[in-house]
Amino acid sequence: MARPSLRSFVESRSYSTHDSCTVGKRRLHNSAAVTDSPITHGRRRLRAVVVGSGPSGFYTAKYLTSSVNKRIAADRETATSSSSSSTSSSSWPFSGIDIDILERLPTPYGLVRYGVAPDHPEVKNVENDFAAVPGNTHSRAHGGGTVSYFGNVDVGRHVSLSTLSALYDVVVLAYGCQSDRGLTIPGLDLRGVLTARQFVNWYNGHPEFGYVADIVREALWDRDGNNAGDVDDADNGAISKAKAVVIGNGNVALDCARILAKGRRGLKDTDVPSSVLDVLGDGVEKVVVVGRRGHVQGAFTIKELRELTKLQKEGYDVSFRVRQEELDMGMTEASLQELQLASGRPKMRIDALLREAAATTEEEGEGDHEAPTKTIELRLLMNPIRIESNNNRNNPRVHHVIFERTQLQGEPGKQLSVGTGQYEKISADLVILSVGYKGSPLEGMNENMFDSQRGIVVNNQGKVCGDNNLFVVGWIKRSPTGIIGSNIMDAKETVASIMKYIDSNPQNLLALHEDSDDDLSKGSRGLIRHLEANNVKYVTWDQFLQIDQAERDRDRLRNDVQPREKFLSVDEMLACLQSTC
Amino acid sequence: MVINRRQLSTIFERFHTALLALSCVDRKSFPSLSAQSTILFNNRNVIHSARQFSSKETVTITYVDPSGDEHPVEAEVGQHLLDVAHAKNIELEGACGGELACSTCHLIFDKDVYDTLPPKSDEEEDMLDLAFELTETSRLGCQIRVTKEFDGIKVRIPNDGY
Repeated sequence: MARPSLRSFVESRSYSTHDSCTVGKRRLHNSAAVTDSPITHGRRRLRAVVVGSGPSGFYTAKYLTSSVNKRIAADRETATSSSSSSTSSSSWPFSGIDIDILERLPTPYGLVRYGVAPDHPEVKNVENDFAAVPGNTHSRAHGGGTVSYFGNVDVGRHVSLSTLSALYDVVVLAYGCQSDRGLTIPGLDLRGVLTARQFVNWYNGHPEFGYVADIVREALWDRDGNNAGDVDDADNGAISKAKAVVIGNGNVALDCARILAKGRRGLKDTDVPSSVLDVLGDGVEKVVVVGRRGHVQGAFTIKELRELTKLQKEGYDVSFRVRQEELDMGMTEASLQELQLASGRPKMRIDALLREAAATTEEEGEGDHEAPTKTIELRLLMNPIRIESNNNRNNPRVHHVIFERTQLQGEPGKQLSVGTGQYEKISADLVILSVGYKGSPLEGMNENMFDSQRGIVVNNQGKVCGDNNLFVVGWIKRSPTGIIGSNIMDAKETVASIMKYIDSNPQNLLALHEDSDDDLSKGSRGLIRHLEANNVKYVTWDQFLQIDQAERDRDRLRNDVQPREKFLSVDEMLACLQSTC
Repeated sequence: MVINRRQLSTIFERFHTALLALSCVDRKSFPSLSAQSTILFNNRNVIHSARQFSSKETVTITYVDPSGDEHPVEAEVGQHLLDVAHAKNIELEGACGGELACSTCHLIFDKDVYDTLPPKSDEEEDMLDLAFELTETSRLGCQIRVTKEFDGIKVRIPNDGY
């Protein structure tokens, strides 16, 4: 969809003196407090920096802006309505706010760009909300203030956390999770074993995951390692006979299965990179998604499950199978009670959906010539024990996974999967481990600040513990759970902590010092000086819009409906800005 | 030839871009064109939104925000409650743009009004399953159209604590 570029085209026309609070629908409820009174509090604007431009970073910038504006408006009302002079300790000491959003890649949006599956474009609509955030936080008549974007800036490498702490009043860490939750079983380093994070980043075209292509191509088309021309099959619309096993029961696991099964014909109209389609061919014949516990405990949600049950009807040539007996085995007394809890309503619907799918699976007999060629099967109550190889010394790679049948034991809400001593071997040419992302500490972060067991920064409602001006939001604050919308409440909580911090630290606030908005050693100006001194080619919002527009250039697209053909390397993105892309 | 919504939107957009390019129109100087382009941005329901220009019938609906403050607005009959909220500057998120891919436009109705609403699709139920502070009378604002019978009703935006 060309919406962001059209907006940029329109917005680039003479808004410098116009209050951009009235631009577009979204901006309207961003600017809570543009009033007519020319009174400005304090001598300068608050300077905040957000590290990371995914949903948590953008929602934080959005709600911090509106909180500050509401606060300033409320203070004005108090000032004009009270007869005696208002006590300075309760009034907001800043005249507005400037927020800088830093992002390691040239392009923003985090997991919305590199996590959300290409066949879920409606989920990416939230980018429109985010695109409305950079720009004015406050009209010029009332002290100005901007949200600025700095892409291609690596915090830790290009600028240190301690430098940011000194340049800004408030630093918000929103950098998400860069690593994987571990599964300690033998065979993880066999060729053909990937984590979901690697696989998802690759099929979404992340610049740092191009290497995954060869692993997937080999698994799908060259399992014997003899390069027997199989790779051409990918282009000729062949379906790979490889067996893929996805370990995990969340929505990410379902995404991996669906992308593998859909293949080129199912994905050609999406924003999946063409080079990915070249590797997938027309998809994989059999994908097995395996969960350790039962379906009631699975982390997947019903929308994604329902989508799998509809693939056949919608013409993707993929059937969905689940075994009645595994649903029954998972329905222990405790599971039944879990369904009765308040949180059980969604699970009850999942149970009904899967039982219906199981019944359909039973009905499909052998030799049904109408049956789809490809299958996604959901297996439950199976714990991965070992990943084993083909024992080929010349071409060692994964061959199968050994699972142990489990049964659920324990109280409702706390059931554990316990081994039963029965084992099953599932063939696998490609194994994808989808058991969760994990956070890592930022370079230069104090050891005490990070909880390495949980993979999060130690915090209290978003304020990083200790004597500092650091805050966290998103997955690096609460661990990698939830959906894009979960960041709304999360951001609001962190913003409330920021407001509380400022209200309770009037003496520390730089507002009382001599510096002003124009101070070259602080905030955006200080950052730019630092980056330029270190030769960092940062990317501005307008420059990102150029990259965005270039990705949607008709000459790049494989058909009329493909939304964009992503650039697969940072160099290509930066080349755009020199007009050589 | 069957044309899908996205293709239609693309066609409208390209036409609009061409128009802007040819006339060097500044949105500021042509407010009616501004409204048009805002509507064209609404990918979800281009045809429906174009119809809005001709329908002028309105009813009074009150949005009750999380802090209990009431915001009565004039809502056009036929518009979705999410679009009404955005048009009237009510703080209600609509992350997926009304395409049943989130639950951020969750609204709570009075029982007597809730009972008159058209039934939920599976897809709406699926997203409501994930909504925060879900109630027995919850619906997604992007799925409920204003009717004449809505005159005087109140809809509550769930309190997320902030």
